[in-house]
Amino acid sequence: MWSRLLEQGLYFSFGRIPSLRSLHIGDDEQGYDLDLFCIPKHYADDLEKVYIPHGLIMDRTERLAREIMKGMGGHHIVALCVLKGGYKFFADLLDYIKALNRNSDKSIPMTVDFIRLKSYCNDQSTGDIKVIGGDDLSTLTGKVWFIDIIDTGKTMKTLLSLLKQYNPKMVKVASLLVKRTPRSVGYRPDFVGFEVPDKFVVGYALDYNEYFRDLNHICVISETGKQKYKA
Amino acid sequence: LISHIGYNKNLFCIPKHYEEDLERVFIPHGLILDRTERLARDIMQDMGSHHIVALCVLKGGYKFFADLLDHIKALNQNGDKSVPITVDFIRIKSYCNDSPTEKISIVGEELCTLNGKGNLFLSLFQDIIETGRTMKALLSKLKDNEPKMVKVVSLLVKRTHRNPGYRPDYIGFEIPDKFVVGYALDYNEYFRDLNHICILKEKAKEKYKI
Repeated sequence: MWSRLLEQGLYFSFGRIPSLRSLHIGDDEQGYDLDLFCIPKHYADDLEKVYIPHGLIMDRTERLAREIMKGMGGHHIVALCVLKGGYKFFADLLDYIKALNRNSDKSIPMTVDFIRLKSYCNDQSTGDIKVIGGDDLSTLTGKVWFIDIIDTGKTMKTLLSLLKQYNPKMVKVASLLVKRTPRSVGYRPDFVGFEVPDKFVVGYALDYNEYFRDLNHICVISETGKQKYKA
Repeated sequence: LISHIGYNKNLFCIPKHYEEDLERVFIPHGLILDRTERLARDIMQDMGSHHIVALCVLKGGYKFFADLLDHIKALNQNGDKSVPITVDFIRIKSYCNDSPTEKISIVGEELCTLNGKGNLFLSLFQDIIETGRTMKALLSKLKDNEPKMVKVVSLLVKRTHRNPGYRPDYIGFEIPDKFVVGYALDYNEYFRDLNHICILKEKAKEKYKI
């Protein structure tokens, strides 16, 4: 019930203020035919459709970079990348932020760090989470960023409560994708690229058992692909 | 090969917060990308029929890794044949201020997970090879995974007497023995957010010293 209210709330606000919070992809969106784009030959049978083309991801990310710079108010940022699925979004988002930094009157120093969370097996979220890596987190005196995909939100909630112990000045979460799913715990990141239906997507560093990270569009996997790369 | 001392920084776009800290632009970002595009082609020609595990050495390797992989993906989606690549990340800490430290710590990845990949062809993406010690330590650690083949790709190699002769398989640029920052290479965590490879001013070294 909570998630249905959330959905209704989201649709309502999109009705009033179109596309300000995220690029909304509807439930009936089929995606694009594979033949309209360039796909690595080794995945030709493993994908159903191109769901979000790479160029569209980049354009949306460019705008997120601008929103983020406005929202961080001139403080030193620690950009925290959630590996492995976050690495492309992280790299591209940071590139756009760097471009803003060197082309405007003011700029903000950024340091980077990388952590790992493991919570998926095949295409199901297992719900239990391990955090690996990263610098000594007690050095987080500035504001902190996460960059990741949000599925049920459970992962992000766990991570946020873990980080709270280190007293960062401010924490903002930027997520490339947010899924509309009944399994959602209601968590909403501060910056969202795309809001998508509950389909399992791969590509742009998002994997299916480690495959498909080397695909630059976000795609829907085919049954053939699911069987072929099963754990 | 680069043997001159770089470009005037006023000829390029630099983040305002680093303007006072940099002496010269040493390798402009576009040049890095063009060279990387060619490295991608060379790698694919040699490795082009095996499943590759691309191992990124964090943190300094992350930009080179991302950009090189993008070029490889472009080849994959536009060529007659393509090669699946899975990715993984490890962390090495080996610098304090501008000198390589004695101790090298390899952190965090469950490298044993690389074993499940059947034929293991590792490509190590390293940002810079200076003494070669880090790479030697890493390579001997990776031997436990029994990879079929390991190739090391390094963006930069320094000409220095401190190197006992280690040479990676693929090299972006060979440079003189100057301390460089930018394109994810840091000085005590600073300058990773700079897209050109640059030379630091001496007073900047003091400013950001630990």
